[in-house]
Amino acid sequence: MHSPPSIWAQWHASPALLLLVAGLAAAYFGLSGGRWQARGGLYFTALGLLALVEASPLHYLGMHALFSAHMVVHIVVLLLCGPLLVLGLPPALPSTVARRLARFSGWLRGHTWLAWLAGVGIMWGLHVPAVFDASFGGLDAAFGLPALLPVVAMLLAGALFSWPLVGPTAEAHLHPLAGVVYLFSACVGCSLLGLLITFAPADTYQHYARAGWCGTPSLAPDFASNPWGLSLADDQQAAGLIMWVPCCFIYLGGCMYLVAKYFMADEGVAPPPAPPLRGRGAIRPLTLASVRLPSPAGEGPGVGLH
Amino acid sequence: MANTTVLVPEPARPLPGLSINSSQGLLQWISSVDHKQLGIMYLWMALLFMLVGGLEILLVRVQLAVPRNTFLSPEAYNQLFTMHGTTMIFFVAMPALFGFGIYFVPLMIGANEMAFPRLNALSLWLTLFGGSLMYFSFLAGGAPDAGWFNYAPLNQFNYSSSPGVDYYCAGLLLAGIGTITASINLVVTILRYRIPGMRFKDMPVFVWMMLLTACLVLASFPALNAALAMLLLDRQLHAHFFDVTGGGSAVLWQHLFWLFGHPEVYVLILPAFGIFSEIFAVFSRKPVFGYAFIVGSGIAIALLAFGVWVHHMLAVGLGNTVNGFFSASSMLIGIPTGIKIFNWLATMHGGSLRFTVAMRFAIAFLVEFTIGGLSGIAFAIVPIDLQLTDTYFVVAHIHYVFIGGTLFGLFAGLFYWFPKMSGRLLDERLSKWFFWLFVVGFNGTFLVQHVLGTLGMPRRVYTYPDLPGWGLLNMISTAGGFLMGAATLLLVYMLVTAIRRGPLAPADPWDAYTLEWATTSPPTLQNFDRVPPVRSARPWRDHKRPDDADHLKPGKKKGVHGK
Ligand SMILES: [Cu+2]
Repeated sequence: MHSPPSIWAQWHASPALLLLVAGLAAAYFGLSGGRWQARGGLYFTALGLLALVEASPLHYLGMHALFSAHMVVHIVVLLLCGPLLVLGLPPALPSTVARRLARFSGWLRGHTWLAWLAGVGIMWGLHVPAVFDASFGGLDAAFGLPALLPVVAMLLAGALFSWPLVGPTAEAHLHPLAGVVYLFSACVGCSLLGLLITFAPADTYQHYARAGWCGTPSLAPDFASNPWGLSLADDQQAAGLIMWVPCCFIYLGGCMYLVAKYFMADEGVAPPPAPPLRGRGAIRPLTLASVRLPSPAGEGPGVGLH
Repeated sequence: MANTTVLVPEPARPLPGLSINSSQGLLQWISSVDHKQLGIMYLWMALLFMLVGGLEILLVRVQLAVPRNTFLSPEAYNQLFTMHGTTMIFFVAMPALFGFGIYFVPLMIGANEMAFPRLNALSLWLTLFGGSLMYFSFLAGGAPDAGWFNYAPLNQFNYSSSPGVDYYCAGLLLAGIGTITASINLVVTILRYRIPGMRFKDMPVFVWMMLLTACLVLASFPALNAALAMLLLDRQLHAHFFDVTGGGSAVLWQHLFWLFGHPEVYVLILPAFGIFSEIFAVFSRKPVFGYAFIVGSGIAIALLAFGVWVHHMLAVGLGNTVNGFFSASSMLIGIPTGIKIFNWLATMHGGSLRFTVAMRFAIAFLVEFTIGGLSGIAFAIVPIDLQLTDTYFVVAHIHYVFIGGTLFGLFAGLFYWFPKMSGRLLDERLSKWFFWLFVVGFNGTFLVQHVLGTLGMPRRVYTYPDLPGWGLLNMISTAGGFLMGAATLLLVYMLVTAIRRGPLAPADPWDAYTLEWATTSPPTLQNFDRVPPVRSARPWRDHKRPDDADHLKPGKKKGVHGK
């Protein structure tokens, strides 16, 4: 019996993927005027991560054997690569591009729900069993173009989702605390999906139920040689749980980043909250100037205001 | 705007503190929509239910004092421990925390009233009648007897045929709606009714924690209410949500209950964290150390609350994959709480401490809650959970968290704010007696239960065989319980005498920091006439010490400088 090739040797970069990465890199230098600009590292980290998860044995595992590996790829592309690309955009852009981006940011600011829906919707959409199984259809097609479609969609969705939080136009950012709500509600959306996948019947995703372990019997659960021993059900549970728990921690990390940003920004006195509306005993709106109080030096602490 | 004016019998002069000797007597309290009176009534309600729930558990402790006791029948025992848990969580801890919130949030943000005063009254009465309805079950054929988390299939008609579980559903549904309306009210009040100039980062920590708590309630109570409605359908109309023979799922109940239940733990602890933050700062004469970290870790706790509930179900058999993930994530929730503990320690470090009774409870909390937290982390380790689940170790853990955390927070808040609410001072000597009696009784009751649990004594059994050590440990536990009971009676006596004839309290007896101390004790019907400008999280102190104000030293409010 011939021994299957080691899983660690399964590196496959499709021409389409290489084109995508090269195109994105070219886009950076096109936008930055050929110069390396601040935070460029983030941009190219995103490209590196993208190439890594799409070409590495992890990807191979995800495509052929393990849903859980596939889920890791999804999450890295959607929640790390997309936002990092946005974060790493060159700060100094040609004025026409900057104006267009600002206009887009302003428009998106009025349609924040769209950005939110892109981030959450792509997760749900791609994991509808029929869509999910279909996304493996063109695995061997020329240039790997069909297989790259979901990746591009996730990159775009991830970028769009993070745009209101870290987009290039700071004035169009959500208030950091609103950003916490934005991220947290998205986290709930993904958790619900993760929960569904975790507790769904084990053959919900036919692609993996049918997977012949693709010439890598060492991955099949019922082979004595398999050190990982993931059954189909375990694998699907792990995939759901990855979306449910660690994925939430990425959102949570984002929330903590926003909270830290909020507390570190030492702006002046913020615009006061909207004046009280109505109701019995509604507060008399006091402006700071109207405040006049007895001096504590004269009467000591503990003096009422009446 | 005055087209909806409603005349309510309320005095125009200062409110009567805690007495009912006003011009309108009891009617004025019953018809009140004033947030201070409603807050006080929440607290009275909590005290009343605490006496009832405490009595129930003392009966249980008598039954457990010696092996093979026949003091209570198994049926009575089941009803008593179920009612004890449900009462203490839903009708003592929740109303008391919300009582403080409803009383003090408007005062602390410089508002004169909650956003929706009449909704506020509705919340109180819904909660009270929810509790009363649940207790009516004693007269209607038997109280709920399936434990406070009321697992399926035990909650199904064939296993619990008395109407108790139906009353549990109806009572908790009512109270749950009351809690949700109160939370909506708090969120809107905090977002919209802050005095102009008070930014989010100037809000007292207690207000922050009430905001987070209210958001948690809004996100978690729907799961409970849905589960209760489904259970009622199961029991009354023979639906099959949790009925396995009919194709339902018993585990679904656990998921829904703990999807509510784990956030509920934080609903019960975050306001206490807020109270402690105020108290540590005031009685150390320092700003709270790391305001941003305390608030930020509070936000982290609130968000994490929804990602870990399955750790209550590690023994259900969901599989190693599921257990592994939730074991790992549950250990993470120790981090933000640990951050807070160190923040409070750092707040005390180098401060000039005043060991008032409120401060004593706060310090005791640091010890007790850490014990409860550590045993909680132990449960996140799956093999330990499998070994200890459903034993007295769980009972010890939950009580170290809920008594050492929530109840101590409530006591600390009571001793801190009582002068403001009543205009009277509590007897300091008796207060210290109460503190020591309660702390000793509490540890006497529950410390030994760690041992009992490790020895294998299961919880929720009405009696036990005479195994080596079990009788003695249980007797110690019962004695401790009675000590706590005596302390509670002492507390009631202290409260009543202080309200009747305690010395009058000044407006600001503790030289405190936040705006509630800027008005009289007790506050007038209209809380404020004017409010000092808010430029930091300690506006009242800034006003009292204009040369030393926080906003003059930007690093100070972050707790960077010493005093
Ligand atoms: Cu929990």
